[in-house]
Amino acid sequence: MTVLRTALRVEAIAWRRSTVQRLATPLLIALVPVASIGLTTLARSGAVGGAGAAKLADYAAGDPATTHLVAAGQILSVAVLMAGGFAVAATFGQPLADGRAGAYFGLTTPRGTLAFARGLVVLGWAAACVAGAVAVTVGASAAVAATTDAPFGPAAWAAAGRALAAGLLAAGLALPFAAVATATRSPLATVGALIGVVGLTQVVVLVGAGAWFPYAVPSLWTGTGGPDAAADVGGAAVAITAAVAPVGAALVVVQWRRLTDV
Amino acid sequence: MDSALLLDDVHHAFGGHRPDARPALSGMSLAVAPGEVVAMIGLNGAGKTTALRVLTGRLRPTSGTARVLGHDPARLPAGAALRFGHVVGAALVDPALTVTENLRVAAELHGVAHAGAGAAASAVAERLDLVPWAHARARALSLGNAQRLGVACAVVHSPAAFVLDEPTSALDPRGVVLVRELVRERAAAGAAVLVSSHHLDEVARVADRVLAVHGGRVVGSLTPDEAELERRFFDLVLAADTAALPAGSRRSA
Repeated sequence: MTVLRTALRVEAIAWRRSTVQRLATPLLIALVPVASIGLTTLARSGAVGGAGAAKLADYAAGDPATTHLVAAGQILSVAVLMAGGFAVAATFGQPLADGRAGAYFGLTTPRGTLAFARGLVVLGWAAACVAGAVAVTVGASAAVAATTDAPFGPAAWAAAGRALAAGLLAAGLALPFAAVATATRSPLATVGALIGVVGLTQVVVLVGAGAWFPYAVPSLWTGTGGPDAAADVGGAAVAITAAVAPVGAALVVVQWRRLTDV
Repeated sequence: MDSALLLDDVHHAFGGHRPDARPALSGMSLAVAPGEVVAMIGLNGAGKTTALRVLTGRLRPTSGTARVLGHDPARLPAGAALRFGHVVGAALVDPALTVTENLRVAAELHGVAHAGAGAAASAVAERLDLVPWAHARARALSLGNAQRLGVACAVVHSPAAFVLDEPTSALDPRGVVLVRELVRERAAAGAAVLVSSHHLDEVARVADRVLAVHGGRVVGSLTPDEAELERRFFDLVLAADTAALPAGSRRSA
């Protein structure tokens, strides 16, 4: 446990100082509520017509607070996957690309433990960003509701809970990209794989298999594909999606233990 | 006396068993005893860095034996890792952290207790004159200061054996003296030190023994205080090349 505690402390310092973290944290925590409330306001303003209005139709009805939080969940389910993917591309891929990973050999803190701690730190950071983004959205939405005499009731709280859960699931889906970063030894290739999986997810959803595809589940669960698609996402699919994170973490730990030619 | 650092008949080819495989080590053998500084000199591509990568566990050789403090460096137990340090290529330095943070992190990763990491970091920062940059980010350091920081991170835990690849290549004359004095001090305290370099006059000042490396193996040994070290090195290289030629194509002396 002492070795893991050391690894966690070291990785937390490194992540706190990293440029990726400094950019992504405010973007996630501030832009998600701004976009959620902004899209809802825009949908109800009547200022958007044509195809844009059709895309925003889901945000034009219902109580505003619930809509804000549904939108927040939908945005988070993609944004956190992308942010987490960039984070593991940087933290796992960059040291292998620039040779710094060679310095992790011959340490009392084993490489597998360092990799595990690195994954946990990124996952913890992503989870904190999700919680922060949902909390700020709840606060901003409650303020909007208070000034417009709109309700902020149980439906809004339920939407907040689902946004939080979907965001956490999406954060876990980023961990397998640490294994991609390790295998390719390239942050850019990892980002390419991330974009590829997001594209593949679109195809899987289009052919109707999204309810069982982990990378589609958070988004569909929050209603991106409509209420029917959300209803198709069952507990088993959510459990499978949640299992991606530990599988990804285990894989990257094994990879870092076996690392050679660095 | 047992060797603290050992390579025995190590062979390695990049590209494995493919026809275009490039041999990098061809029977590399060397040993460094506690309290001894051994320098490897050789031309570019001679196999020095590949040998050091094997010795630090970063590269598993095709055949042969590597030992660090009696253990396989690819699976170094914590007790041995606590007594080992190295800089081969990129150092254990995070560009986003300050000098002090990097030294503390390196100390902890090398097994120094959290409570003692600050003192260890301060001591090595003072020894290598890094105190003026203590709060500077590593990415903001000059090349020479960054190299001294890398060396400091490798020895912050006072290892009993350490390996330095080209440790003075970017240093100014004062930095060269600081690193040389550090190496000699640690050796006097019983550490086994293996360094690689292109600079004959520098290795002559720091090493007890100098090994000439060529074609992926040690082709001869030099004593640092002998006259015309450079000529002796090239004689060894030429002799190795001549010996490697087919018998019919050798010119008589």
